[in-house]
Amino acid sequence: MSVVSEAFALVFQPYVLMVIAASAAFGMFVGAIPGLTATMATALLVPVTFFMEPVPAIAAIVTATAMAIFAGDIPGSLLRMPGTPASAAYVEDAYRMTRSGRSEEALGASLVFSAIGGIFGTIVLVTASPILADIALKFSSFEYFWLVVLGLSCAIFVSPGSVPRGMISLIIGLFAATVGIDNPAGQPRYTFGNVELLAGIQFIPAMIGLFAISEVLRSVAAGADMPAVEKGGRAGIFTRQLDNMRRYPLQALRGSITGTAIGALPGAGADIAAWISYAISKKFSRQKEKFGTGHVEGIVEAGASNNGAVSGAWIPALVFGIPGDSITAIVIGVLYVKGLNPGPTIFINQPQLIYAVFIVFFLANLIMLPFGWVAIKAARTILSIPARVLMPIILMFCIVGSFAINNSPFGIVLMLVFGIVGFLMEENDIPIAPAILGLVLGPMLEQNFVTSMIKADGSFLAFFERPIAAGLGIFTIAIWSIPLIMLAIRRGRPGAVPAA
Amino acid sequence: MKFNDLLLGLLVFCGGVAIWVSALGFTDIPGQSYGAGTMPRAIAIFAGCLGLFMIAKAAIAGTRMPRLELAAWVRSRRSLVSVAVALALIVFYIVAAPAIGFVPASLVVMVVLMLTLRTRPLTALLVSVVACVVIQQAFGRLLLVPLPRSEFLGFLW
Repeated sequence: MSVVSEAFALVFQPYVLMVIAASAAFGMFVGAIPGLTATMATALLVPVTFFMEPVPAIAAIVTATAMAIFAGDIPGSLLRMPGTPASAAYVEDAYRMTRSGRSEEALGASLVFSAIGGIFGTIVLVTASPILADIALKFSSFEYFWLVVLGLSCAIFVSPGSVPRGMISLIIGLFAATVGIDNPAGQPRYTFGNVELLAGIQFIPAMIGLFAISEVLRSVAAGADMPAVEKGGRAGIFTRQLDNMRRYPLQALRGSITGTAIGALPGAGADIAAWISYAISKKFSRQKEKFGTGHVEGIVEAGASNNGAVSGAWIPALVFGIPGDSITAIVIGVLYVKGLNPGPTIFINQPQLIYAVFIVFFLANLIMLPFGWVAIKAARTILSIPARVLMPIILMFCIVGSFAINNSPFGIVLMLVFGIVGFLMEENDIPIAPAILGLVLGPMLEQNFVTSMIKADGSFLAFFERPIAAGLGIFTIAIWSIPLIMLAIRRGRPGAVPAA
Repeated sequence: MKFNDLLLGLLVFCGGVAIWVSALGFTDIPGQSYGAGTMPRAIAIFAGCLGLFMIAKAAIAGTRMPRLELAAWVRSRRSLVSVAVALALIVFYIVAAPAIGFVPASLVVMVVLMLTLRTRPLTALLVSVVACVVIQQAFGRLLLVPLPRSEFLGFLW
């Protein structure tokens, strides 16, 4: 029997398939609740996997993760409460589509293109992972610095509202990220003697506060009169996606490639990928003005990128045993427990097992479609619940979700503080999403900047001395300077009307 | 509460100055010029420049609107009370849950907020009880989150 046939035999057993289905349902449940994350779903599954063989154990985690990440789009789309920072990239479009009666189209696009991105990433994982992993390892602190700056720049420029207000949001997020002892000198910053703050500001309670609590407060302030949801057409979840596939094939492909490539960089992940893809989508779109107003194009590209990055993160994890994010870090632990030592030898010593894992990746992304369909249909009933009943229940979920991150009431305090901040930001047309990305990427930005400066002995030129770093750096600077140059040229033209 | 660009720019600039001053007390890595203060200083410079830019832009544009605009909900007593109640209920949960347990504390939060939002009392009570038990079972039992227990409701765990 060939290695591939052995792998198929390992996967297509009733027990393994049952585990995949149960994990899919579990991942969907956890991901759809605001505040609960794919990482939490993975961590909760670890003790259960102790009693399983290697293939069902990995299948359980991979399926639950893929499902939870998609399910994070459900509260984002229906209630404007994104489940992950990556979902925040296109939450405005998805939510506005829901308000105009197109929730099934928005969630359907997110579901289908997430699956496409995930499958694309898996194909890359199977066919080209050693090459990509080799490139990924060439990334030093200089390249990571520019990549983070690029992600943050995209968040500012694609957020709804003016660029200066986007920058204010970013400053709030970056400043919040400086709190704690985790900095180059190991000195407590802005902790005010509070032991809980030494660990820094957890982004999940902050995200629940900024998005969900501010939304609850806004609804409460409006007397729980949510704007009426328009009646949608009878088009199903999948039927509109054929149209979208025909209209946006390039966007889906571009998103999948961008997501997989960025996901393969250890530590970069889906958050940067989704934002960069959304920005690319807007930049090259023929309907730029529709972005942020309920346009599906950005969801197609960033949704594909999001899950492409999730698949891409497995490349360094499996090829070198280097975790790309917290989920792959947990899985590497499980692989070791199961005697599957990640690294180059895994492909030589246990090829049937690694091929079985690849098959599981495909199955996880495919099973997402029927399970996602059920979840979308079930979740849509939320829209028929009056806000005066729904908002108190959501508030309770937010409180419990914030508590559950560290099993500490301090998470609820953070949620409350960031809820008030988010409410005031929205009142002043300051977009929330850049603050979230600043909070998530702030530590990475600081670490890579300080490391690079020490390595370069204070010379900024070193940030352009390596070819990939130079390319990323020039591209980032161009993003900032081209709009200014264009503005200057337009103003310089005779007969130009000065901007208001 | 809506600030115009001038006031917002001023706030951002002052925030930048405050961050810069606070960063003066942070130490560098021994033997290096970088350390705990590097990032706050960079944020302070970013905020300072942005604040100045916003102030200058607003000044050039001759901003006429009131510097502080009150949103419609601030002028409504009912809305103000509702927001205050929602915030107070979160504080109540933080303080009361460890003492009385998750179930009673969350019931109070949901029932009171629903009543504040003018839900019928019976509906508020029934929905809150069901939601409370579902959340407790999902988080407390299924996801093993150590929600604060109530002595007299131990059978739920």
